[in-house]
Amino acid sequence: MTALIALLMSVSKVWKGTAILKGFNLISLIVAFGFALNNFVTGGLGVQIYLSGGYLSSRLGDLGQVLILLISIVVTQMISISYLSSKFNRGEIVALFHMVIAGMLALVGTDDLVTFFVGLEMASIGMYALVGYTKPTKISQEAAVKYFVLGSIAAAILLFGFGFIFAVTGSLRISEIGAAIAKVALNPWARLGVIFTLAGIGFKLALVPFHMWTADAYEGAPTGLTVFMATAMKVMIVIGAIRLFDSNLSEVKSVWLPALGFMAAASLIFANIMALAQQSLKRLFAYSSIAHSGYMALSLAAMGGVSSAHQVPSLIFYLIAYVVISLGVFAIIMWLENERCENLMVDDMAGLAKRYPLTATSMAVFMFALGGMPPTMGFISKFYVFNAALSNNMMALVVVAAIGSTISLYYYMRLIVKMFMLEPNPALENLIKPVKSKWTVAIVGFCVVVVLAGGTFAPETFMRLAKSTTVQSE
Amino acid sequence: MQLLNSHVLSTLIFLPLIGAVLTYFSTNLKTAKMVSMITTGISFLLAAHVWFWFDGSTSALQFVEAYEWIPSLGIKYIVGVDGISLLLLVLTTFLMPLMLLSQWHVDDSRQKNFLALLLLLESGMIGALVAMDLVFFYVFWEAMLIPMYFIIGVWGGKRRIYAATKFVLYTVIGSLLMLAAAIVLYYIHFTQTGIYSTSLLDLYAIKAPVNAQLWLFMVFAVAFAIKVPMWPFHTWLPDAHVEAPTVGSVILAGVLLKMGTYGLLRFAIPLFPDAIQTCAPLFVFCGVVGIIYGALTAWVQTDAKKMVAYSSVSHLGFVVVGCFAVMSSGELNQEALYGAVYQMINHGISTGALFFLVGVIYERRHTRLLADFGGLAKNMPWFATILIVATLSSVGLPGTGGFVGEFLILLGTFQAMPVAAVFASLGVLLGAVYMLTLCRKILFGPLDNPENKVLEDLSPREFGYLVPLAVLAIVMGVFPNLFMSKLKPSVQFLAKNYREYRLEYRLGSESAFESSSKLDSNKLNVSVK
Repeated sequence: MTALIALLMSVSKVWKGTAILKGFNLISLIVAFGFALNNFVTGGLGVQIYLSGGYLSSRLGDLGQVLILLISIVVTQMISISYLSSKFNRGEIVALFHMVIAGMLALVGTDDLVTFFVGLEMASIGMYALVGYTKPTKISQEAAVKYFVLGSIAAAILLFGFGFIFAVTGSLRISEIGAAIAKVALNPWARLGVIFTLAGIGFKLALVPFHMWTADAYEGAPTGLTVFMATAMKVMIVIGAIRLFDSNLSEVKSVWLPALGFMAAASLIFANIMALAQQSLKRLFAYSSIAHSGYMALSLAAMGGVSSAHQVPSLIFYLIAYVVISLGVFAIIMWLENERCENLMVDDMAGLAKRYPLTATSMAVFMFALGGMPPTMGFISKFYVFNAALSNNMMALVVVAAIGSTISLYYYMRLIVKMFMLEPNPALENLIKPVKSKWTVAIVGFCVVVVLAGGTFAPETFMRLAKSTTVQSE
Repeated sequence: MQLLNSHVLSTLIFLPLIGAVLTYFSTNLKTAKMVSMITTGISFLLAAHVWFWFDGSTSALQFVEAYEWIPSLGIKYIVGVDGISLLLLVLTTFLMPLMLLSQWHVDDSRQKNFLALLLLLESGMIGALVAMDLVFFYVFWEAMLIPMYFIIGVWGGKRRIYAATKFVLYTVIGSLLMLAAAIVLYYIHFTQTGIYSTSLLDLYAIKAPVNAQLWLFMVFAVAFAIKVPMWPFHTWLPDAHVEAPTVGSVILAGVLLKMGTYGLLRFAIPLFPDAIQTCAPLFVFCGVVGIIYGALTAWVQTDAKKMVAYSSVSHLGFVVVGCFAVMSSGELNQEALYGAVYQMINHGISTGALFFLVGVIYERRHTRLLADFGGLAKNMPWFATILIVATLSSVGLPGTGGFVGEFLILLGTFQAMPVAAVFASLGVLLGAVYMLTLCRKILFGPLDNPENKVLEDLSPREFGYLVPLAVLAIVMGVFPNLFMSKLKPSVQFLAKNYREYRLEYRLGSESAFESSSKLDSNKLNVSVK
């Protein structure tokens, strides 16, 4: 709650001086992070509801806020040390950025469908503007328009879904819908509402067949915002989706489970195959993120089945692993980028191990983690998701995921081949000249440590963390 | 001693890991070489310690350590050795220092990374051999791929990237499906007992429904068969072997392939006993086809390394046949099992030596084509001697390890499935044909190529890593009981009881000799806490 206020206050202030603004931006985020962390640590396991459902204090929501603010701080710092700094640290951009964050925080911490939608739109509209406006180029504006048009359609569909649900249940409170919709489960409008809601979520989570915007938006956006889209947006949507689908809509699972299962399978196969052909790093990671959304959808689908203790934690665990790995990957990419070389290609990574052995090694760790190889957190998270899905006998989907995972390993390994097994391109040595940066070292180092620790001696710690969020739904 | 015995296996897993980090961050190559050599040396001594303290009179798991790893999923850190894993453990740690010795002269700037990767690989291999928890094993099983991928992909030949990628993808697709099957087994265990556990000690105790066993077994067995590699899953092997650097080939043939057959013995067979009766003929058939196909293909190769690679397909076919020789009484044939395990070790020694030897002439001539050689026995007598010893051991001449292994496999298979044994013995014949062809083309005939005339015989360093292998090949043939004695109870127990398999174990804190009390496996949970 306090976290929200602190952020909203900062939005209203628009300061001119870059240095002050930079400091103010960071400080307000850190303060908000402090509050959120405090909420998470001391909040206990119970659920408190404020503003008649407008704000809901729960472990899940608090964890979401902590993650979002942590990502925001890291991303802000990553942008501030990059060539994008002067573009980003302008009053209106920072204000937009904070609006996005406020929207996200509102979404993960609400029990009210309207606030949910308003939060989603605040975050989305802010992102559309940020993508196009931070560094206006042709490609980023094109990306912004595509993102905007498709995102708006998605928002409209989602709103339709909420509308139908409200019409048949008479309630806007997420926690009350579950019981209400069970009574009208056969009502076609209720079914339509659920399907529309699922489609809207699928859009935002970039699941096949609603993924069209992803690659263009990821590629067109300045990299600092790409990573924000890939991580914070995903945290927001996934936590929102857990709210909506776990236990609350499980009564009507016969409606959404097959559709979600199909979307998961389609994402796992299609996105992984598409990623094989990508030359641009950002497009590659866009398709990889769709594939990872597929895993998350698989885990989400598992919630529709017989309840067991593993489904929500597996999704949260996967989310944390994915966020940490993505931050690490993009920290490296942003470090390598510069004004003249904005959109790195896969080929540009050739021979990286010769020039920057530690960077390449860290990147290799992240690649193996994304590919789900032990001993990284990526493996444990994949195992956990498989485990959750198989506890509901979703054998076919797990086989699809296993095949998709093998395909994905090919393109992750392609990057490793470029970095370690090929000679550097001399033309690029003049172009890609990153300067030493303590912050990049700190961020990448932190991510490597978490990814390796999460796969070796500390998976239990993260699982406990993930598990503690599920108490609220009881 | 007490402390050492109770933690020796963990030390064996983590020591190379620490060594790898030190090697990677060491400032110059000389330190890196020393660190890696000392690490592998200590590992070998520790493994030797395990060997001497191992009580060969019981089939129980020894030097067991058990801790909780991921309690919320019931995954434990359990390590232990029985006779089968003990032999492979010693083989692995024995080959490592020899490999480092063979690399001692390399002064490449990337060499310390190579050494670090070798140490990582050692850690992974040891972990996979001693892990007695399904998921814990799986972590090592897949993690092993990463260093091997780099070893082939960075230091390999012309088509190294293709070979490395193929190697990883082949293994991973099988392994991932195996992971899914493992989770299904885990839920079957949960439904039957109400406990979440992936510990083998628990999983052995349940009986899965026969239908489920059939397809779970197939998934597990195929994952391991890919690694073996059993025909028709062998196509990655020639590529990987030919492209890998010498040391990569040695470790691949010496240890990694054995992981597949070890997996069959440790996991696929005792976990799904009811499926064996149905599936054994299929696997024996594939094994026999592999024996003959590998031999015939090896025969026509012009590249010495490819020839040795295909000979591996043939020899591991024997091992697969030995693992699946089910008698009409329903028991596994003991002789065949002894032979299979013995052949695993012998193949590691003799084929390892052969790859080293091919590497020796490749370093001198930068070619491996048989047509480029001939008459080397005249100016490289020591090289010729060792090549002959390795070859004879590989073809199974009495007095070498290969004879013991192949003879026992054929003997056992003949009792169980006579027809298969008849066809398999063709492989012995063909083996002699192609291996002796290899010898003839390299060693004998006229020494007419001027480039070959100036070749020098083995250097002291090369002696250093080849002689132990040659000696061991003969020792294994003359004193098989030295090794069999450690193996006996484990193999007997597996052969008779794979249907009611319940490993006993001794906690590592009690030394193997002093302890006579056998703990019930349910007590493990208590004693862990």
